[in-house]
Formats: sequence, structure tokens, C-alpha cells
Amino acid sequence: MSTGLDAFVAAGPPPLPAVLRTLLAVARRPRGRMLLERLPRVQAPVHAALSLGRYDDPAVGRALGWDADVVAARGRALRRAEGRP
Amino acid sequence: MSAPATPTLDADVCVIGAGAGGAVVAAELAEGGARVVVLEQGPAHDPGTFTARPPEMLARLYRDGGQTTTIGTPPILLPLGRGAGGTTLVNSGTCFRTPPAVLDRWRTDFGLELDEARLAPLFDRVERALSVAEVTPELAGANAAVARRGAERLGWSHGYLRRNARGCVGSGVCVFGCPTSAKQHTGITYLPRAVAAGAHVVTGADVRRIDVRGGRTRTVHARLQDGGRLEVRAPTVVVCAGTIHTPLLLARNGLGTASGQLGRNLALHPATAAFARMDEVVDMARGVPQSFYVDEFAAQGVMFEGVAGPPGYAAMSLPVTGEAHREAMADYRRLAQFGLMVSDVSRGRVRSLAGRPVIQYALAEADVAKFRFGLARLDELLRAAGAREVLLPLPPGVRPERARARDLKLMAFHPLGTARAAARPTEGVVDGDLAVHGVDGVFVADGSVVPSALGVNPQLTIMALATRLAFRLLDGRIDARPPAPPTEEETACRS
Repeated sequence: MSTGLDAFVAAGPPPLPAVLRTLLAVARRPRGRMLLERLPRVQAPVHAALSLGRYDDPAVGRALGWDADVVAARGRALRRAEGRP
Repeated sequence: MSAPATPTLDADVCVIGAGAGGAVVAAELAEGGARVVVLEQGPAHDPGTFTARPPEMLARLYRDGGQTTTIGTPPILLPLGRGAGGTTLVNSGTCFRTPPAVLDRWRTDFGLELDEARLAPLFDRVERALSVAEVTPELAGANAAVARRGAERLGWSHGYLRRNARGCVGSGVCVFGCPTSAKQHTGITYLPRAVAAGAHVVTGADVRRIDVRGGRTRTVHARLQDGGRLEVRAPTVVVCAGTIHTPLLLARNGLGTASGQLGRNLALHPATAAFARMDEVVDMARGVPQSFYVDEFAAQGVMFEGVAGPPGYAAMSLPVTGEAHREAMADYRRLAQFGLMVSDVSRGRVRSLAGRPVIQYALAEADVAKFRFGLARLDELLRAAGAREVLLPLPPGVRPERARARDLKLMAFHPLGTARAAARPTEGVVDGDLAVHGVDGVFVADGSVVPSALGVNPQLTIMALATRLAFRLLDGRIDARPPAPPTEEETACRS
């Protein structure tokens, strides 16, 4: 799990982090994925979390025209240059 | 050996929470000469550490990582901000004044003497403090241009939204922490003003108890992040912990319970969004994500507003899985998105389970009907804009007109009403002046006092009510020494 996704999962209200970690582990196995496909209500949050993690990868983002590091650096530069809070 | 004495602060007013209500009331009171202590449960966030990366920022800036969910059909994700600025730190910055029709209803249904003319100076003051202005088409970006094209082709009423932003460059991550500090949330506007005027702000302070003796408040007890304790002695307490947590705090202290309304009447403005696959490059995260609205159906309780975000956000929100998801995300640069928000008649309830909120909310049939109607119109809007394909947030094979409550994939951002204001003590938790009925010295100023759904984003309403409360306290209750004679605007706010 990526650091960002790990932090996101850990921040959930109890007992969600433990449940989600288990389901994410299940979803990473082919048979687990097939099982979850039969349970759309369970699959939805697992799919959302996995997607959030996968597309947060800087290399994936850059390939899609999004660079979080550039956005954050521009913010820091603007704040410094203009004395913003 | 005796335990060390608990540190104690003395104040005229103790404000609990530093979000849309608390920061505003604290600044206005402190500038009016009152001694103010603010106790904020969350941290003060440093924008220098904002990374524009959704999962990390969700974990840091939101309560429970933004994973707060209601219990009911359907379950609704209810992300809430945490820290100095509260949810204003992580909202889209959209600013609407309270619609006059809503104020009329409040007068009839709840006996609240609030009208457009009386609130106007308060809104003026708040809007000036937050630099509220309309988004320009250039800054709004291509995602807004898609919706605008659709609305123009259909002849639907629309416009660019007004926002509390200054020097915005369209970073596209308002809800993940503005990296340029362009969004004028209360943590960087009102709260510094409060501090400059002498207010003492304590972050990481979790208020556990409000002592009330002889019908009057005496002491507020908080636990600090480092395990220590803090007491604030103040004859006036303003609770601004937010719509979900204020009723829990009041109930834990036996305050505001007489009406039986505490924790009830929860409105949420449930919302959803559709994606459109366009021929043109949209790059939805370039520009202001929420910059444009279509209010053609506002009278029917359906409002469309822009929504957008970086790939991680879009991937999490796309209503498809498997190969369809991969294909849509490969085409992310050509994805557009637009949201739909319902002015709900459904009402939920907040209760405490082991100190944590349990939020029950079931979508009423009347609101399901609004979603059926709204999703069909949203589909129409995006197709009119030239969408090759519209991805509606419904299970495969379900058309909008056939959607049931359990088919809907909803989020909500505007919890309101759990300590609602009403003139009669049997109908509300606080009165028209936001004082808790039957208790001397306890007031509430956050979304919980807003007695019904507004149909529009509520932050300005909450801030205007908080401003009004501050001036009323300065006029009637607090022995403050104003640093200067009131300005014309301040006099208007007091009337």
C-alpha cells in the first residue's frame, strides 16, 4: 500500500481501518476480486480506495497531465513571494 | 502528593470550535473588546505542508480521513474538516447568501425574525472579510466551460459562482487544502484577527465538560493533546463544534435537551455527480473545481454545481469498475464532471455511541424523486454540451427514472439543523438569538442552528448568524471595552 493510501485508511473511524485493510488484501488476490464482484456494496469502497491509491502515484498522475508536486511547489512559491499566510 | 493544579484561563467568552461559526464569533467579540478563549479540537494546519495529493490530505485535514458515513438507505459519505478553519478549510469556497424564500419559511415555521434587509449588513461584512467575488471564466477552467455550453444550448439559468478566494490561480485542489492560501477560510482570515485582538486560541483542546450551576455557565473543561487538562472560566460559552459534534457535546452536558429536538432534524443537502467523456481536453483539475452553477431547477430543490479534482479523486469517484474504469481514466484529460445537490426534506438524527457520533439518515421518497429528476437533467446537460458518453452514478442498467434510494451513490457536505433555532422552546434547541433555551450563558453558532436545508452552500449563512450573535453579545451581555467607537457598518450589524 502507498504511504498516502495507508494514511488514508488508517485515518478512518474504527473499526473501518481494520475492515478496509482486510478487504484490500482480499481484493489484491484474483479469487478475492472475483468474490468481491459478487458483493457490489462491499466492492465499491474497496475499489474506490484502491483507485485513490493507484492514481495518486506521481508517475501515473504525470502521464495524465497532473503533477501534484508542481502544484504544491507553485503554492509554496506564491505564498513566499506574496507573503500569504 | 497532590496532583498539579489544572491550568485555568479566565475569559468573558469561551468559544468551542474554530470553524465557520467559532472563528467568526471569536474575531468579532475580541475586536469588540471582549476577552476570548477559543478551544479548537483539531490542529492548526500549516499550508506549507499541503501536498495536493488527495489520500494524504484527506487523512490530515478531515475528521476520520473524510470517511464519516451516515447509516441508512443509501449510506451517505459526509466529509467534515478538522482543525483551525473547520470545514471552511476543505470546502470549495462557494458563497451564497441565504435565499429569501428560506428566510420567509423560517419566520413562518420557527418564528425567526430574520429577513433579507436585516441580514444584508451582516453578509456585507462577512463577504468583505473573506474577499468574496465571482469566479472569472478564465479561472473557472474548461470543466466549467463544458457545463456552461450545455446550459446555454438548453437555455437553462446559470452563472459563475461567488467564492471566498484572493489571488487564486486555479490549483484545482480546494477540498484537499489550498496550497496557495488563496481560499480565504476562517483559519487564515477570522482566526488571525481574533488573535491580533487578544484572543487566546488553544488547538488540540477537546472539550469534555461545560459546568453549569444555578442555570449559569461557570467553567469549560478540556483535555489537551499532550494529555494535560485546561479549564476556562467564562460566564458565556459559544458552542461551535459543528452540526455533528455540537449536539453530542450539549447532550453530554445535559444542555438543550428539554425540547427533545437536540440531535434531530439533520438536513444534509445530499449530492452526487456525473462524469462526461468529451472530445476536447478538459483537464478538470486545472481551474477552480466549483466555479459554475446551473440553477434552472433550484425551485424544485435541485441545484447543479461544478465539481472536479486530480486523477486520484476522479478515479475514486468514477461510477464504473474494471475495464470501463481503466478506459475512462486513460482518457482522464477528456473527462468532465458536474455535480447535483438536493435541498432535502429528509431528516436524520445524530446520537452518541461510546462518545462517537452515529448519524442516521434515510432518504425520503420526495428526495429520491428529486435525484431521479436531477440525474436525468444532468445527463441532458452534459449531452447538450457534447459529451460522447455520460457516466451516471447509478448501477449498470439503472436509468435515472427507475432509480431507487439504494441505487444512489451519495455524498453530503452541508450538515445542518441538529440544534435548530426556533423561537418556541418546544420546537428548537436555541432561540432566535442562538441562546440555548432555558440556560443562561450558553449559545450555539454553527450549522446546527440552521433550522432547515437552504438549497445552497451554507457557509455564509453560518458566518452571518455568528456575526449577528457576536454583536448581540457585545451589546447586551459582555462588559467589554470597545477599542474604538463603532463604524457605520458595525452599527448596521447591531440593528
